[in-house]
Amino acid sequence: MRHRMASAALALVGLMVSVYLLLYKLGVVGTLKCVGSGGCERVNTSPWSTIGGVPVAAFGVAGYLVLLGIAMYGLRPDQAGRPQATRWLAALSALGVLFSLYLLALELFVIHAVCVWCSVSGVTILAVFLVSAGALAGARRAPAP
Amino acid sequence: MAEAGRSLKSFYLLLGGIAVVGIALILHAAFGGKAPPIVMAECGGPPLGGVAPRGVVEGADSAPVRIDEYADFECPACARFAVLTMPDVLQRLVPTGKLRWQFLDFPLSQHANSPLAHITAACGAAQGKFWEMSYAIYQHQDDWFADKDPEGKFLSYARAAGLDVDSLKACIAQRRPWPQIEANRCSGERLHVDGTPTFFVNGRALAGIPAYDDIARIVDSVAGARTAGARR
Repeated sequence: MRHRMASAALALVGLMVSVYLLLYKLGVVGTLKCVGSGGCERVNTSPWSTIGGVPVAAFGVAGYLVLLGIAMYGLRPDQAGRPQATRWLAALSALGVLFSLYLLALELFVIHAVCVWCSVSGVTILAVFLVSAGALAGARRAPAP
Repeated sequence: MAEAGRSLKSFYLLLGGIAVVGIALILHAAFGGKAPPIVMAECGGPPLGGVAPRGVVEGADSAPVRIDEYADFECPACARFAVLTMPDVLQRLVPTGKLRWQFLDFPLSQHANSPLAHITAACGAAQGKFWEMSYAIYQHQDDWFADKDPEGKFLSYARAAGLDVDSLKACIAQRRPWPQIEANRCSGERLHVDGTPTFFVNGRALAGIPAYDDIARIVDSVAGARTAGARR
């Protein structure tokens, strides 16, 4: 159960970061607090900050909400010992990691600017994946009696 | 079971803590630590703060035709004029030496984002990039006019236009050009400007919004008349 708690907490952190970036994109937050000279703004105002007109941050908000929901569902007493929630967390966060890697590649090689908040989100989703995948691997090594 | 209950309680406390801290930081970013609010003063009496009106000028002071434009960055008609007509005016008419163009700020009180747009453009002028900045602001008017705080978008336009964004940010945060913008607006009020854009040709108000051909005709006729008068 601990790994689901950790996943829920991480998903909430990722959700907050994504909401912040989405509010910037929607013009609610005027400027982004960012380390360095404008990398966050450069990335978040680039043509790659939207997909089909939808801000990338909105995908982040939706993704983290789903992860948070699954992790919280997995904490219900009737889900204890059942691996489904952890499998979903691992699978979806793996997709999130791939998407974050794609965004990081765009930052490094196309936009030539790094958005620290996007990196925080990337590390968060990676942590969710490692925690969930680690729990699955641990469960396989020590099957329930 | 008791240990599991305690563990869940600690977890919910942690979750609540993350949510509270996150929401507080977001609210602070959205509403706190902002630059001072932009307040429009009442016009009337002597020039505000002793600042004389002076807009952004293109063209020689000796040009026979002087056109003053009072405009608002959030006004759609101003945007159409700036994007469709102004580039031709700057590239084809001003270099002839016959025309001196002056842009004067006239932010309308009903346009919430207009003061910040004028400040941004004026800060761009401090870097010698007023026309680039104003064109970008006008060109993207539909993207920012409804925003609660469009500063980030203005900075991205500035970056694309090749401005030094860090110094632009500092200029915007300190509202440096605001007294000049207010002085320009008040000069328009004294001239009974009641809509934007409003044009004055050698001090006389022009009816309507001219197309490029109209301006070219005005320049040719006024400059021609001046030349003929000088010959006599």
